[in-house]
Amino acid sequence: MIATLIVVPILAAVLLLLLPRRAEGTAKWIGVAISFLAFFATIGLAGAPDESVRWLQRPFTANFHVGLGHGLSYWIVLLLTLSTGCALMATNVPRRRDFVAQMLFLLGAMAGVFLARDLVLFALFWDLMLIPVFFILLGWGPERSNSAWRYLLYNVTGGVALLLAVAAYGVLEGSTDLIGASLGHGASVVGNGWGLWIFAGFAFAFAIKTPVWPFHTWMPATYVDLPAPAVAVVSAVQSKAGLYGFIAIVLPLLPEQVQAAAGIMFVLGLVALVYGAVVALVQDDAKSIVAYSSLSHLGLIVLGIFSGNALALGGAAVYVIAHGLFSAGLFLAIDQFETREGSRSLKRLGGLGARNPKLAGGLTIVALAALGLPGLCGFAGEILILTGLYASGNVWPAVIALVPIVLAAAYMLRLFQDVMQGPEVADVPQRPDLTLLELLALAPLVVAIVLLGVNPGPVAGSANVQSAVSLVQGTR
Amino acid sequence: MPTLIAPFGNADWLALAPVLVVAVAPLVVLLADLLVPRALRRTSALALTALALIVAGIVSLQGWGHPFSAFGGGFQAGGFTIVFQEVALLGALLSLPLAGRLGRDDQTGGGLALLLWSTCGALLMAGASNLLTIFLGLELLSLALYCLCALAAAPSAREAALKYLILSSTASGFMLYGMALLFGATGSAQLAALATGSGSHVLLALGSGLFLVGFAFKLSLVPFHVWTPDVYEGAPLPITAFMSVVTKAGALAVLARFAYAALPQADAQALLIPIWVIAALSMIGGNVGALAQTDMKRLLAYSGIAQVGYVVAALAGTTPLGLRYAMFYLVAYAFMNLGAFGIVGLLSRDHEEGSRLTAYAGLGHRRPFAAAAMTFFLLALAGLPPTAGFTGKLLILASSVDAGYGWLAGVLIAGTAISIYVYAKIIYAMYARRTGTAPEAQAARRPEPLRWLGVGICAVAVFVMAFYPLAPSDVLPQVK
Repeated sequence: MIATLIVVPILAAVLLLLLPRRAEGTAKWIGVAISFLAFFATIGLAGAPDESVRWLQRPFTANFHVGLGHGLSYWIVLLLTLSTGCALMATNVPRRRDFVAQMLFLLGAMAGVFLARDLVLFALFWDLMLIPVFFILLGWGPERSNSAWRYLLYNVTGGVALLLAVAAYGVLEGSTDLIGASLGHGASVVGNGWGLWIFAGFAFAFAIKTPVWPFHTWMPATYVDLPAPAVAVVSAVQSKAGLYGFIAIVLPLLPEQVQAAAGIMFVLGLVALVYGAVVALVQDDAKSIVAYSSLSHLGLIVLGIFSGNALALGGAAVYVIAHGLFSAGLFLAIDQFETREGSRSLKRLGGLGARNPKLAGGLTIVALAALGLPGLCGFAGEILILTGLYASGNVWPAVIALVPIVLAAAYMLRLFQDVMQGPEVADVPQRPDLTLLELLALAPLVVAIVLLGVNPGPVAGSANVQSAVSLVQGTR
Repeated sequence: MPTLIAPFGNADWLALAPVLVVAVAPLVVLLADLLVPRALRRTSALALTALALIVAGIVSLQGWGHPFSAFGGGFQAGGFTIVFQEVALLGALLSLPLAGRLGRDDQTGGGLALLLWSTCGALLMAGASNLLTIFLGLELLSLALYCLCALAAAPSAREAALKYLILSSTASGFMLYGMALLFGATGSAQLAALATGSGSHVLLALGSGLFLVGFAFKLSLVPFHVWTPDVYEGAPLPITAFMSVVTKAGALAVLARFAYAALPQADAQALLIPIWVIAALSMIGGNVGALAQTDMKRLLAYSGIAQVGYVVAALAGTTPLGLRYAMFYLVAYAFMNLGAFGIVGLLSRDHEEGSRLTAYAGLGHRRPFAAAAMTFFLLALAGLPPTAGFTGKLLILASSVDAGYGWLAGVLIAGTAISIYVYAKIIYAMYARRTGTAPEAQAARRPEPLRWLGVGICAVAVFVMAFYPLAPSDVLPQVK
């Protein structure tokens, strides 16, 4: 039954193309219905036993093995289905039938990435999830933009490196059915000359996808060019595929190489953290601000993952979900004022809050979550990661990481102030406040932001998270 | 004193049965061309050719699991031979739907007869285990192709044919010289004699080197590839599709048999290093060459160079698993390449072939099904899921790592990364938004069920092979 979370959205995407072109409203509601059905099905399936069918016997064992557990995979799939449903609910992009088909395909492929318990299957879905985003950039991005190219070339290059790493690991280990398996694997790979190369292949793919500085240059253009529902899902969930890969694959399977490379990853994470925050401070395009703030936030998660500390790792897991929630919320809110005012430029906009109190309220909550206000989800992740960093003796990284967290307040409040407060700009047409539908699209995310902020425990795992494996599978 | 007339037994003819079917069928096609009314000639020729290829395929499959040596070691029947024969027959069969436009109406029968004889050469090469049989098969394959290349009305076709004739003959010359040296080294034309021979080392190295150069030429591996784009561009579309699969299947069969079974154990790995280097060059060179192309046939020619590079890379280290994955990828390549050619055929009009890249601009909006199918085949060629190309590349990477040729796996990855740009460029053109692309008038198009059938078969095969990577066992080559 877990496999239906992958197969049904993909099949639905294909079947949608049989609808008449004009059935835009129907297509949209089919998309919303399938996303929320998948959301509730995921809750129902929590802890369900894994499903596995034999795929390859030679040159190594590979299975069609999917599992949900009740750990990180479970939470990310919940985030994925929820954000897709919310993103599609209020969308009014042109050619909606085709768009919804692409989004459902994306949903299925990404569910595959997080549910796969086999490295080959993981690599398959990894490449598969790139294709719909490329098509969305082509069909719905601005004309004469090369962001589709940059997205595809960067990420597929990572994808082929991942494929080589998977093949090599499989040959050396004899099996690729290893994600979420108990520790103790990898002994044959560690100590082999291939170990470092395999680590490099995985890290390269995951660093591009996350993205980690200096592999991030595809990201701002992609986020700016994607239409709002797509960017909400891509920034909320697809960017987490890389971090999930680090947690679920690299940490358990290549422990020695992780220790050797932790210093490098720390430096890259810190640079991303500071660089993203500083660049976000000076952006004029609201989407760019969120894009660069993502680079900064994800850098903090990289620190948490490579700290070698259970608390920080749990915090990284919380922040993975938290960032997904508030970045999806931010992109949706930005889209809502963009469709009203026809602009995302901070210079051009102003004073929207007076006439759009609901929109202002929604943006306030997601922006506060993004800048780490206690009680909301962003804070829960940050404090766990910072405490963990400090506890594991990484005092200076923890201190440096504090600076961008302060900067986050600056750029998020600047975004809010320039758009919602101040004098109304005369030449911008003022439109009515959020419709019920738009409010409903934002509400589930806001509720989840508060819930996770108040009770991050289930995501972080119990206090004695021993390993990344138990984080992925859940310990119950 | 050996007699000149060899006493061939029934078993010998049995081993040759599929080859004989395809050798005799063209006579029937030519006869039918004389007897059948003019209006039915094209149909009857196509039907008879397809029938012959299918019958040959079935006959060939009968021999599965019963490897034996025929004609005193000149021909080997068995799994290895059958796989390559089936690929060649498949390539010929699936290029038939494109052949509706092979030359003028009254040339169809003759053209298809030549196509069958050319296939016959490839079938012979699949089982050849004697230098003379190899050469016989190769020349049979090539001679028919020279004529077929010239069948199109365009002057570029004649240029292509002449170019192919001259360069291919030069390659044959190299190969013959290599064969002579090999014969000199061992005193026998049997491949088995090479494997066990105790002849001169220098002669063996020189001979095998020249022999491999000849085959690198036929396989159009870098740096012996320069003829390929020109010939592919000039030849009629069905012949290009045919060449891209059948010629390569035949030549790969000989190359694989030579690499696996015909060299002395001690020297084999050292003697074969040049061929792995050539494979690496092809994976990079083919994809880099494809970057600048503006013609679909030229682009597929370069892409084919790289794809064959992948297949040869799978053979590196000559492990049994490597051979199976090479075969898997060859079959996958046959399907995805013929599928892509099938779409090119669908876009062809009466007086132009749909091979200019400009013909693909906005195709996603004008003909969504053709564009979707093309996208699928291009993704397969690029090695992206959910296609056989993805699974095939994974298996080749695994086999390279397993055999200790990690650097070759690295080169494959680099080549694949370059190829993404090549194939995505076409997808980009098909789906990028353009103002003013009016939907094509529906009436202008004839229904083309035969071509869609071919494309459909390819698409299903490429999809299914991604999840059922059946690599047959019992396929190791023998030379006895």
